[in-house]
Amino acid sequence: MNGPTLLLFMHPTFGVLAIMASVWVFVEALNANAANAARIRIGGMVVAVCISAAYVLGGYWYTHFYGPEKDIILKGPIPWAHNLIMETKEHAFFIPLILALYLAIITREKLTNNPTARAMVLSVAALVFLSGFAIEGAGAIINFGVKAALLTNSVKGAG
Amino acid sequence: MTSSTSIGNAPKLGPASAAFALSASATFIFNTLLAWVKDSVPALNTFMASLTGHHWTTHSIFDLIVFVGLGFIFMKTGTAQRMDGMTLVRVVIGSAIISGLGLLGWFFFT
Repeated sequence: MNGPTLLLFMHPTFGVLAIMASVWVFVEALNANAANAARIRIGGMVVAVCISAAYVLGGYWYTHFYGPEKDIILKGPIPWAHNLIMETKEHAFFIPLILALYLAIITREKLTNNPTARAMVLSVAALVFLSGFAIEGAGAIINFGVKAALLTNSVKGAG
Repeated sequence: MTSSTSIGNAPKLGPASAAFALSASATFIFNTLLAWVKDSVPALNTFMASLTGHHWTTHSIFDLIVFVGLGFIFMKTGTAQRMDGMTLVRVVIGSAIISGLGLLGWFFFT
């Protein structure tokens, strides 16, 4: 496995880890008490670190290696995998990134005696995993855009 | 820095939590507006690319500067902490959804 491929695999892996950690924070916050306050803070940090890693790794891959794949997608049967999905994903990614950084801040509040802070943690954690799922799905569509283009050209070549 | 204070019976968010909630919302909207303008004005896209080597990298740095910068400004001025905490929750949710749909709608119709 070469470097760019490793980057391409690590980007969604950290995304999934961030989704899992945000679900963890959500569940802990539903049952917020003195005993799990430290776990909520740690969970918030894990979400921020994982999304930041996904941002750096995915960003490096996108800015250095995506160009040729974009050309392949645009010549394939579903060019909207780039024109709509990638164009949206590359900008929408900043929403869970900022939410994750904010989650690391808001989880430092004492949630047991502050229902407003608890509501904010629940809302932000939910937004992270919902937007995270959407972005993971977008990545799958972009990947399929490349595959569909290569398969189409392969079939045409065989014919 | 993040300890909560109470006004009346409604617990409020701490200074940092309130300030960065508002700055996060502002960053979501800024992010979408910058994507729209960048997509409409190729010269801006080229200029942003010239700063870091890629427009996306510059875009992400601008977003982070807005988030951190406005967060500290709101914390210093107390702007966000004067707002009702649940209003801030609704502002964060609403701005995240609107900015996401704004991006999807823009690239769908253009």
